[in-house]
Amino acid sequence: MTPFMRRSGLFGALAFTLLAGTASAEELTIALSSEPTAVDPHYHDLSSNNALTMHVFDALLTTDAQQKVQPNLATAWTNEGPTTWRFELRDDVVFSDGTPFTAEDVIFSYCRVLNNETAVSGSFDEAIKNMASIEAPDDHTLVFETNEPDPLLPIRLAQIAIISDEIAEHGEISFDPQSDCGVTGAWPTVNDFNDGTVAIGTGPYAIESYVKGSGIDLVRNERYFGEAPEWERVSFKPVPNAGPRLAGLLSGDYDVIENPAARDLSRIESSDDYEYVITPSSRVIYLQLDMRDDSPFVEAPDGSNPFQDVRVRRAMSMAIDREAIVERIMDDAAAPANQFLPAGMFGTIADAPALEYDPDRARELLAEAGYPDGFSVTFHATNDRYINDAQVAQAVAQFLTRIGIDTELDAMTRSIFFSRRSGREFSLSMGGWGSDTGEASSFLRQWVPTTDDVAGLGGSNYGGWSDPEFDVVLREAIATMDDAEREALLQQAGARVLEQMPYIPLHYESTIWAFRSDLDYQGRADQYTLATAITSDE
Amino acid sequence: MSQSPEPVRSEPVGLAPAILETPNRARILARLRSRPTARGAAIALVILIAAALFAPFLAPHDPYDLAALSIFDNRLAPGTQSMDGPVYWLGTDSQGRDMLSAILYGLRISLVVGLSATAAAATIGTLMGLLAAYVGGAVETAIMRLVDFILGFPTILVALILLSATGRGVDKVILAIVIVQWAQYARIMRGTVLVEARKEYVEAARNFAIPGWRIMLVHLLPNALAPILVVATVQVASAIMLESTLSFLGVGVPITEPSLGLLIASGFEYLLSGEYWISFFPGLALVVLVFSINLVGDRLRESIDPRRR
Repeated sequence: MTPFMRRSGLFGALAFTLLAGTASAEELTIALSSEPTAVDPHYHDLSSNNALTMHVFDALLTTDAQQKVQPNLATAWTNEGPTTWRFELRDDVVFSDGTPFTAEDVIFSYCRVLNNETAVSGSFDEAIKNMASIEAPDDHTLVFETNEPDPLLPIRLAQIAIISDEIAEHGEISFDPQSDCGVTGAWPTVNDFNDGTVAIGTGPYAIESYVKGSGIDLVRNERYFGEAPEWERVSFKPVPNAGPRLAGLLSGDYDVIENPAARDLSRIESSDDYEYVITPSSRVIYLQLDMRDDSPFVEAPDGSNPFQDVRVRRAMSMAIDREAIVERIMDDAAAPANQFLPAGMFGTIADAPALEYDPDRARELLAEAGYPDGFSVTFHATNDRYINDAQVAQAVAQFLTRIGIDTELDAMTRSIFFSRRSGREFSLSMGGWGSDTGEASSFLRQWVPTTDDVAGLGGSNYGGWSDPEFDVVLREAIATMDDAEREALLQQAGARVLEQMPYIPLHYESTIWAFRSDLDYQGRADQYTLATAITSDE
Repeated sequence: MSQSPEPVRSEPVGLAPAILETPNRARILARLRSRPTARGAAIALVILIAAALFAPFLAPHDPYDLAALSIFDNRLAPGTQSMDGPVYWLGTDSQGRDMLSAILYGLRISLVVGLSATAAAATIGTLMGLLAAYVGGAVETAIMRLVDFILGFPTILVALILLSATGRGVDKVILAIVIVQWAQYARIMRGTVLVEARKEYVEAARNFAIPGWRIMLVHLLPNALAPILVVATVQVASAIMLESTLSFLGVGVPITEPSLGLLIASGFEYLLSGEYWISFFPGLALVVLVFSINLVGDRLRESIDPRRR
């Protein structure tokens, strides 16, 4: 334990003794369904991490509840040509330790994203890898020059937290990744953030203590430039099981909880003391199919990989009764998916037909593909990451088995699942993807294209799917600055994926928040729980 | 133990001294019968084992046949009639599995794991303990330090680490339980053998130049076996509990072939929603199983242990 944590632990204990019994109106306790894995804002691009770090760190821009870009540390931004962007920064911002915020901190932060050895690979670096140069004409202006046109640069920069350049020894800071950007000392690691020594941001809250597995305490940052949040202290408690989360709310231990089970909503409804809000999210749950000739967990009698046949993939999609999953397992707090982002969001297909459930046709398709007796597959899924993931996976296994694909399910904890999946150890797996840009390109560029590390495409294409026709359309789409043209190209790319089905969409999650009835929270499409947006009624 | 070691001495040295022979066994059974609680437990145990053994004939459904499950039948209350006729006497779980069938099949897994893990652990532990005590020296030091090492960790921790490394599966659970439990038998066996080895019949055997392995297996082993058998009975119950705990924590058996522990875990989150039966009935079955094994084991110990008579 570091001195910081000992001190804060002692302070926490002291505060607890003083405040016990006088539960102050200024305090808020929130039960999380998924625990953040770090305080380091550049560690891993996970919803649970980003939601936490948004309390402590700001980015140049931010996104609102509908995932639309809003000003934050930058007040204005203009596109001065396909690859040139100009950002005007606020000049009244200081970090929680009192040092002023300048353009140098931004350059330092973006360099750190490229020099973050402790990060989960590929987190946050897409936009920065595309930077040809970053210049600071003065302390509060930045000019970005990108290699390729990037119409989504503003929303991407809204995800990248700005940290203070005081936390590493440095000379003159400049965007020059080859020479460490002017940093002479060691780059901070994830542990430096987790133990609190360098967790210094400009956000509305500061970290008071972080103990993995037991919770995170935040205290109001009195130096925050924006409107001061209503709550002086906020504490996040990880409670992975829905039952105990709800029990904690009903017993008064928690003021707000994430994702109570949908089947329990009637119980919340029947009480005057609690309410809830359901918000559709941009997260799609889908199946990923392995296309390699030699796939570890699937094999047809003749030794080939049946997933390579498009008829098999379509049969699998037809075998699944999405309405049943939504109704019986998600208790209607989800919507059947027919593409990879809910219709209405940018780049989605407006009138995509529902993916029909037709087990008889599915069996015919399997027979046409040469598998009248089906085949066997082991299906891998998480059991603690997505809402009801283990139950959904079992239902999918049921449906596939019924058309003759003998499916064995292996559901495991997410840390093991994610590392095995990125090691390409699975043949059929169930994943979830929330579009952090609110645009169809998010899923399409991360999962579907032939993997190209330099261009930052197909980083999660673990199944090795490769479709030149799709690749051409997508590459054109993501470099098109004109919104209408880009939208048409993304729709074309999306339609191609649904035709070929290397990924099979299942449903879109809805997020539920339940809270004391004297509080109010507007749900967010990105599923983040932000204490700053929780208000009391009076 | 009034008959020991006298009858041993009277027998020819080359023959196995029989400590658990008839007069004693009759008395143990008689003592078991004389206690109504133990008798009740023994009857319950026999019924549970029979139910598990004949599960495929008794269970109304096959809970492991995914094609036969329907999620439209999920979370039905006990006594609900299903769409195609049969009644779900104990309700269904979140996947539409008939709980009664799932419990019967779950009992099978629990008993198979409990019995086979105990048998393997007892065999390995007994042989290691015997070896340590009889050979002594460096072999003894090595074995007993390993035993201390294993017993120094909480059982559940070692099993969790092993299963995180190997992945889930009935065979892997058995292996993990064997690894954490053999040490206990080794320690008990060594203690007993150290006492036995000083007795005259062993000395006599040595004087006849009988080879070491033969003295160990034919002379010492049967005489030191009684405490092991008693411990093994109780250990079956703890192996079943360990399997249930591991499955409850999500590292045990596969989710599509639930044991009792996994059934309890999958119903756990529905408890607050009033759907008690998914956890309650498997929990009840587990309690009855473990309780009756422990009761029978306790009585067995009292019958064999001279100090408890």
